[in-house]
Amino acid sequence: MTVAEKKARVIEPDSLIGKRIPKMDAPEKASGRTRYIHDINLSGQLHGKILRSGRIHALIKSIDTSAARALPGVHVVITAADIPDQRPIGVAKDHFPLKVGRVRSQRDEIAAVAAESEEIAEAALKLIKVVYEDLPVISDPEEAIKPGAALIHPEPHGADGSHMHLKQGMSIAHKGKPDNIAMRFDYAHGDVAQGEAESDVVIEDTFKLHYVTHCCMGVSGMIAEFDASGNVLMYSNTQVPFLHKREFAEYLNIDPARIRIIQPPIGGGFGSKLDIYPFEVICLYLARAAKRPVKMLFTREEEFLASPTRQPVLLTLRSGCKKDGTLTFRQVHTLHDNGAYTSWGATTPFVMMQTFSSLYRVPHCDYHTAAVYTNNPYAGSFRGYGNLQATFAIEQHMDMLAEAIGMDPLEFRMKNAQDAGEVTGQGMSFKSCGFKECITTAATRSDFSRKFRENAASSKKPGNIKRGIGMASMLHVGGGAKIYPSDGCGTILKMDDFANVTLITGASEIGQGSETVLSQLVCEELGLPISAITVVNNDTAITPWDVGVHASRTTFIAGNSAIGAAKKAKSKILAVAAKKYGVAEADLDLRGGFVINAASGEAIVELSKLLRNLHFQDKAELVMTTFYYEPPSVHQDKGFKGDVSAAYAWGTQVVEVEVDTDTGFVKLLKVTGAHDVGRVLNRLGIEGQIEGGIVMGQGYAFTEDLIMENGVMKNPNFRDYKLVTAPEIPEMDIAFIESMDGEGPQGAKGVGEAPAICMAAAAANAIANATGVRMFELPFTPEKVYRALHGQTPKLYWKPWRAE
Amino acid sequence: MSLKHDIEFTLNGVKRRATVDVTMNALDMLREVIGLTGTKYGCGEGECGACTIQVDGASLNSCLMFAVDCDGRSVTTIEGLANDHHGDALRDAFVEHGAVQCGFCTPGMMMQADHLLHKHDHPDEACVKRGLEGNLCRCTGYKKIVDAVVAVGTAQT
Amino acid sequence: MSELKHYFAPTSLDQAVECLKDGDVTILAGGTDLTPQSQAGRIKFKQTLMNIRHIPQLSGITLEGKEIRIGALATITEIMEHPLIRQHLPVLVEACDHFASDQIRNAGTIGGNICNASPAGDTLIPLLVLDACVELASMPESKIYRHCMPLSTFFVGPGKTRKSLCELVTGVRIPIPEPGHVARFYKHGTRPALDISTISIGIAGTRKDGALTDVRVAFGAVAPTPTRATQTEKALEGQKLDAATIEKIAAIARDEVKPIDDVRATAWYRKEMIHNITKRILSHVAQA
Repeated sequence: MTVAEKKARVIEPDSLIGKRIPKMDAPEKASGRTRYIHDINLSGQLHGKILRSGRIHALIKSIDTSAARALPGVHVVITAADIPDQRPIGVAKDHFPLKVGRVRSQRDEIAAVAAESEEIAEAALKLIKVVYEDLPVISDPEEAIKPGAALIHPEPHGADGSHMHLKQGMSIAHKGKPDNIAMRFDYAHGDVAQGEAESDVVIEDTFKLHYVTHCCMGVSGMIAEFDASGNVLMYSNTQVPFLHKREFAEYLNIDPARIRIIQPPIGGGFGSKLDIYPFEVICLYLARAAKRPVKMLFTREEEFLASPTRQPVLLTLRSGCKKDGTLTFRQVHTLHDNGAYTSWGATTPFVMMQTFSSLYRVPHCDYHTAAVYTNNPYAGSFRGYGNLQATFAIEQHMDMLAEAIGMDPLEFRMKNAQDAGEVTGQGMSFKSCGFKECITTAATRSDFSRKFRENAASSKKPGNIKRGIGMASMLHVGGGAKIYPSDGCGTILKMDDFANVTLITGASEIGQGSETVLSQLVCEELGLPISAITVVNNDTAITPWDVGVHASRTTFIAGNSAIGAAKKAKSKILAVAAKKYGVAEADLDLRGGFVINAASGEAIVELSKLLRNLHFQDKAELVMTTFYYEPPSVHQDKGFKGDVSAAYAWGTQVVEVEVDTDTGFVKLLKVTGAHDVGRVLNRLGIEGQIEGGIVMGQGYAFTEDLIMENGVMKNPNFRDYKLVTAPEIPEMDIAFIESMDGEGPQGAKGVGEAPAICMAAAAANAIANATGVRMFELPFTPEKVYRALHGQTPKLYWKPWRAE
Repeated sequence: MSLKHDIEFTLNGVKRRATVDVTMNALDMLREVIGLTGTKYGCGEGECGACTIQVDGASLNSCLMFAVDCDGRSVTTIEGLANDHHGDALRDAFVEHGAVQCGFCTPGMMMQADHLLHKHDHPDEACVKRGLEGNLCRCTGYKKIVDAVVAVGTAQT
Repeated sequence: MSELKHYFAPTSLDQAVECLKDGDVTILAGGTDLTPQSQAGRIKFKQTLMNIRHIPQLSGITLEGKEIRIGALATITEIMEHPLIRQHLPVLVEACDHFASDQIRNAGTIGGNICNASPAGDTLIPLLVLDACVELASMPESKIYRHCMPLSTFFVGPGKTRKSLCELVTGVRIPIPEPGHVARFYKHGTRPALDISTISIGIAGTRKDGALTDVRVAFGAVAPTPTRATQTEKALEGQKLDAATIEKIAAIARDEVKPIDDVRATAWYRKEMIHNITKRILSHVAQA
């Protein structure tokens, strides 16, 4: 070899960002090898089952468990009487896991059994005798707020009428509540009276949003085990393991350090695993009493009955604008059916007010809401968290206001859409903002304006098939949401002697692909292929704190945390290389598994070799780094004002439908979406999130309806609760607007919830375009649409009401 | 004591015996008696397809089949498909197309897709969508699953 | 705890009907109805569970003279793919195509469908308008006794048929339609698959001079059983199908049915759909 031929190797630039990267756990999942919680069995485990209430609203007069206890194979039977120090769960602390004194809804947990097998546990449940005294059912929140309405949480009394000797505490579960208001919110910015006075057009309408539920394909379950020293090991599908660790410690009255939560792969989350539910605490009680591991799994029927729902909302919106198209004010009142106990559904107003106050520029806004106890199921957090409901109303009014002043609906939206740099009335600061680009992109790609005009003209003509096109946009947090004391995430990173990385992150993987995105960001920073990384993210004994998977925060916050740890590692590596090879750190970079000359790309040393040298020298060192990322957002003040997220994200969806007016059947033809995501990281992953969100939104708009009648769920099964099936999905055209957020990891913002949020609103606008009939209630099933078209649906009006 | 019955059948190409409760369904037999947990419980009523297996060359919901009815028959589960090079193309397609998110519906989807691909040479998008109409997915919106199956069908000779 | 004491898988029809003599038998065919219903406790097992899947006389789809005979064990998939059915009974193929899902079609049997007697049973509507007969077998004394019963008299209530506890459905026979025969089936639901009909309609007849004669009309999901709509048939019989007549017949159809409200639809909507879809079907027949 001549001197001339002995050239240094040059590593060409390459990037993982924006590429289609298959999900790292996909091969195992596609082989059927992944062990979900349902597939995990501990030796010596017992099976737990819960006896649920046979009534909707009743006093519990007596519970006789003697026959159940005597059944061979039964280890433990418990009721509230066996747990005298039971503590209430939930944000309002109004909820005992095992019910005390009365039942308030169909799902209420009366007793629980741990037995050798599921069959024996089921048989034992049938032997438990409960005597109830029925109470009148309150299934309508409007009834529950009337003066003199029966209380859902009155002061507790014993079966004989005497005052119960519960442990003294200030919670609602202990002392009751003198009214049926579970929670209330009042928000205002500007002066709506002034806004109304300045308006040329004012419209007011009531919208009704219904019950739907998560329907994760994997049913809920848990395994709990106490070790010989009384430490707890829980296998749980929680989305917030660190918060739960602290809370479970409180319910068990032990030190949080003695609780370890391991998260098996999850069969779907969508927000359903953000709260602690009675079955989890009950499973712990059973394990504690039985001194054996206890596994508890729901049946699908139980999953329907006992899972939280999306928050149903009764909403009256009053909006105004000037004849030049400027929005003037919004005044909103909502009534939330809180169900029997309080979970995160009651806090959806936090998110709804962001939409009311800041989706489009609104100078004056006020919003009043109350969550009201009834004997219905309770709502929890569900992808979008109130934003679907709020957007359904706001975006219909955008079309209706435009029509009232004779302005094109696209032009009306563009006039009021915000730009980067604006700060809204609620104090949200729009640093990166692709709102207008989302609107114009979706409109152009779908040929919105022409179709809108043509369809409107055809809606009056004869023929039973009508086409419609509708548009709706959404605003959601894209950089976390500072609602807990910290919105941060911790990362620990280590590198081994072969330049393989282990990323230990607090961020959970719930099927959305976070482990792949985090790997991508770290490997990009360290110039390594994605095969060089292992992610550990599912054990509270090992991983650092993260608040949890919610508010579309994981890519942004866990991403920045991972990058922070990776940058520290890179810095250390380059410092070592600089010293060893006598060059300046600033002249070096990492690429393709090598330390390179940044300018020329020339390889200086293989990274793995450098690391081995570092390890096996006199002053041995390993590369191990940590980083905790707290986003630069702020807590809202008492008026709910403040820049609660480090970034905000927008999306516009244009929906095209075909309505058969002879049957009311609405076919969803096409969805054209444009999403401001900051930057596309994993193109394959983000497409999957958008497509899945669109179809979830399709279900909310058209097919899903959890039917409640006097507190009884009429369709707790897939036969009559209709999820969208493969032949029903629309054609999807999705564009990404890369507004490059300054704070986001590689410029990216969160997107997990966005695609579900504006589907129902766009669908309502499309049906109105097709038929001239506007629908104010969901879902748009064939019968509901047919009724609306044939004047069989009286227009709903709920008079705005505010709690005293 | 519940009535039991001995059966003999071929499972993923291997002949074997099992003693099952006469009232047990095939899904419970696979998961609890035989210990293969790749086939999933989604609803127990045949409405979601998560429990799809193949019996004598046709796909069906194992939650709707009596375990005793496996006697004398040839049963294939996702574990069998995973060990078959036939299944490799399908698995690779699912992975590359992003057809897996939480993955819970994936075994049932793949068993049904495999059956569909045996029956139809080059199924188009509409045919695949109809073929998968009995398999629910909550995560993906189906699009990438359909793309993966169409891709395998196109490559099939 | 169930009463179940015996499991039996006969290999001949004689063995099966002999076992049925005491009537204390639960029959297992495809299992698609029995499995979920028994697991949910809606059906309790009798003393014997009899698996009829190994009885040769119950399978096959054959031409027998002027009839097509479908064995009770024929699966929905087998029916919709069989050349005889595709050639002579396309309306039955149409109904099978929208039945549940591929997985359920591969296992569910026509015999099971008939015995399950759902008021919304998709295959039952075309069978009714095709004048199908149910084959029954039993052993009243010491010899097997086989006879046929018109399907139109077979259903007596939701899930209830004229079959006695000692009888086994062995197949269904359908006369091959004459030339000029037309038949239509429409299932109205909320989605293409895995859907119990809101309503379903079957119409058949022989085309003659712009009218239909020898007419059969059947409706599903609007009565306790799938029913023949005799008033609608009378109104349709021999009538030239112009727009005014079609509207008149559709109105009679709407008035004839007395559906209920349930979780899937209200009675009002079902009546509206019976009217609108009858009108649509007859308009298509008239234009064809």
